[in-house]
Formats: sequence, C-alpha cells, structure tokens
Amino acid sequence: MKKRGAPLLILIIFVLSGPAYAGVPMNAVEATVKRVLDVLRDPKLKNPSARETKKEKLRVIYRDMFDEMEFSRRTLTRNWNKFSPQQRKEFVNLFEQVLEKTYLDKILDYSDEKIVFYKETMVTENKAEIESKIITSSKEIPIFYRMILKDGQWKVYDVVVENVSLVQNYRTQFNEMLSNGTPEQLLETLRKKVKAQ
Amino acid sequence: MKTYLSLIISFIILSAGCVCAPCPASVLMQTPADVSSPQAVLMTDAGDTPAQSSKQPDDAGADEYRDDENLDDDDDPFGEERVTIADPIEPFNRAMYHFNDKMYFWMLKPVAQGYKEVVPEPARVSVKNFFSNLGFPARFVSCLLQADFSGAATEVGRFTINTVWGIGGLLDPSANKELDLQKQNTDLGQTLGVYGVGHGFYIVWPFFGPSSPRDSITMAGDYFLYPPWYVQPWYASTGVTAYEAVNSTSLRIGEYESLKGAAIDPYVSMRDAYIQYRMKDVKARKARSVLFKNSGANNPAADTFQPEK
Repeated sequence: MKKRGAPLLILIIFVLSGPAYAGVPMNAVEATVKRVLDVLRDPKLKNPSARETKKEKLRVIYRDMFDEMEFSRRTLTRNWNKFSPQQRKEFVNLFEQVLEKTYLDKILDYSDEKIVFYKETMVTENKAEIESKIITSSKEIPIFYRMILKDGQWKVYDVVVENVSLVQNYRTQFNEMLSNGTPEQLLETLRKKVKAQ
Repeated sequence: MKTYLSLIISFIILSAGCVCAPCPASVLMQTPADVSSPQAVLMTDAGDTPAQSSKQPDDAGADEYRDDENLDDDDDPFGEERVTIADPIEPFNRAMYHFNDKMYFWMLKPVAQGYKEVVPEPARVSVKNFFSNLGFPARFVSCLLQADFSGAATEVGRFTINTVWGIGGLLDPSANKELDLQKQNTDLGQTLGVYGVGHGFYIVWPFFGPSSPRDSITMAGDYFLYPPWYVQPWYASTGVTAYEAVNSTSLRIGEYESLKGAAIDPYVSMRDAYIQYRMKDVKARKARSVLFKNSGANNPAADTFQPEK
C-alpha cells in the first residue's frame, strides 16, 4: 500500500509544482536515449552493412549527451595541471575516442531490453542524478546518470553502472599511472588503445 | 581440515583488525577538510567565471583547457568518498589476476558458451534461481547479524514461497509485483562492514577473484552456510559448485570483456570497481539496519576513506 501510494504522491507533487522545473534533466536523458533507440530500431538500418551508418548517427547523439570536458577534468582532477595545454587537448580527444569506441560497440549489441527511468534527484541547482535501469530476462542493471547544467543544457558527466562510477574508476587508473609515469606516457598508452580498437 | 580452516579464519580476522585500526584516525583528520571544501569550491567557481568571460569573451573554446584552480576535486555534490584500498601484495595480486583472466578466457568462457548453445535461457535462469534460493541461510544469518529484521523476514518469506510455489526454488514468484519480496543482496563480509570493520587490503584469490581479508569471511561463511558444500563426497560438491559457476557465467558472458575493454589498466579498473561496489553495498545495508542506521553519520565505516598514496 505504502509502495503504491508513494509514486502517486510524487506524481501529484510534480503535477502541482508546474511542468517546467523538475523534469528537465530527466527529460534530457530520456529524449537522448529515445533517439539512440530510434537509431537502433530503425528498420532501414537493420542489415549489418549499415553498422557504420548507425555508428555515425550514434556518435552525433553521444556528443550531444556527454560533456567530455567535464568527464576528462574529473578523471584527471589534480593531475590536470601536470598536462600542458596541448597535452590536455590531446587527452580530451583521445579519452573521448576510447569511451566512444568501447560503448558504441556495446550499444550496438543491444537487443530488446527494456529501459526504465524512474527517479530524478536535484542535488544542487545545476547538478542532478537520474536513476534508470535496464531490465533483461535474467537481471536488472541499475544505471545512474549524473548531469550538469551548462549553458542551458543538461549534459552527462558521469555514469554509475551497478554502483560503480565510471569517472572514479578512470580516476583511480590515471592516478596510478601518473604517480609512476609522465603525462606523455599516459597519452602514449591512450594512443595505442585508440589504434588497437 | 577443520583446524586449518579455523586457523585461516582467525588469521583473516586478525589481519583485518590490524589493518583497519589506523583508519578511524585518518577519517577524523580528513572530515573537516571535506566539509569545508564544497564551499571553497563554490566560491572559486563564482569568482572565476565573470573574470574569465571579461578577459576573453569570444574564446570560450580554448578557455576550457586552462589551468584548473580548483585543485580540491571534491566538488562532487553526491557525497562520494574517495574510495581506495591498500594493495601491498600487488605483484601477487597481478599474477592472480592474470591467472583468473586466463582461466576465464580459456576454460570458463568456452564451457559456458557451449552450455549456453545447448540450454535455453529460461532454463538457465531457473537454475540460477535454484542456487540463489539455496543461498538463503547465509543471507538470513547476515540480515539477522546486521539487525535488519525486515530483511530477515523478507528472506524467510522468499524462501518459503519460492521453495513451495516456485518448485523448489526454480522459479522466483516472490519477486513479482504483487508480493514484491526482493532478494536481500547481502553476505557476511558486508555484515562486518556494517559493524565498522575496514577492508584491510586487496587480495585476488585464484578462482574466486577480487577480495579483501574482510570479504574473505564471506567465502569461509559460505562454506558453512551454503548447502551445496555439504554434498558428499567432496568431488560431488565441487562439481555442483563448478556447474553453478558455468551456469551463472553463461548469463553474463560479455560483462567482464566490456569492463576489461573499457579499461586502460584492467587490473586497477577491476580493483576500483570491486571496492566501489562493496563500499556502496555496505552503505546500503547500514541504512537498513535497526542498530547501525544512525552510526553512519558521525562515524563513517572505516573503509569509506583512506588517504591516497
């Protein structure tokens, strides 16, 4: 009883509090995910030869959705200043490619899992967390998007999959590498990774 | 055999106890800094933006790559603690990581893939449910020890319903919408975490994978509370456990590969994922506990913060 009452109450509060405010970040992610699904389900792009076209379309959406600058800075944190401006530029670029390639391939394997967005938390005025989950036949995978408002646009700067924050995961890796090596070595590792993919 | 086991367990408990001892001190030292930093960050942010925009109004692109004055990276409003774990036996762990990696790609994965071809998914999910139902004693005891009585009750309800109406646990009718009795994802390692015992250090066990002295308790506890281990003779119980591993792997092929593929240093990535995952589990369990619910605010678990190297 309690469980059924709560969503209703939340719904009522949302409805009463006016349409604009609360739902913006959630709508942003939801709309993006819908765009992704539209591309994936597009019957015109069904055959395997369209894989590249699909990737190209997804890449555009991905750039709209993620704030790669925020992502890079948060993974490097205090190491950011060890990089020269030139290296920073290259890092952001390489890191984006690494992420893109890894996740594009994964997204392309998507079959008909259900994606549900169920909660939005405004953490501060310009940061929000959207909780969603992917439901497959054997399990549910919780995926949280952390979003930041920049220039009037909500963009994702961290993804938390099954309680593991991507930003933090990369941060630990980069920290470890930079405590034993130089930024140039890190960039070299990234270059190799991008090439190998 | 029994004496060895108890020796191992007491070693684990001792080592976990020793390692976590200095942690609370560092927590206390760090907390004031953590508390003050968000404000400081906000102030620098506020001061920053107008100054820059007046300097270079039309060159916002290059501006992004400027030096970061915000060196305290703690402007994360999600109250995330920086989680790290000591790794004093890294060479051993890396060797074990590579061993497990090879075991997965050369043995477990091919077998699981073959099995996946033959057995349809609903059947494999049922097998998973069956074994998960047998995990009831361990979860029930953990819930009780954590003073999470509603969790313990949920587990009893689930076990009864799934065993009787779920054909011996093959189905999971109690998780559906009407009953909504969800599996309590808990174990003995988390119980110790709820009590405030720290991780200690990172260990990669052959076959079992990432762990810590504290979480190794889970393995030892499982040995006593998991019915399949009581199957006689010993090779039968090993066989059953191996089958369970193959079955659950068959439902998760690709997960490890994608984690590894996304990582720059897979070993460090695994270690971090493990520690983040466990820490949040313990936090979630703590929130459910009747006794330890409020202790989290003024006395964070010993593993929530460890100074970085």
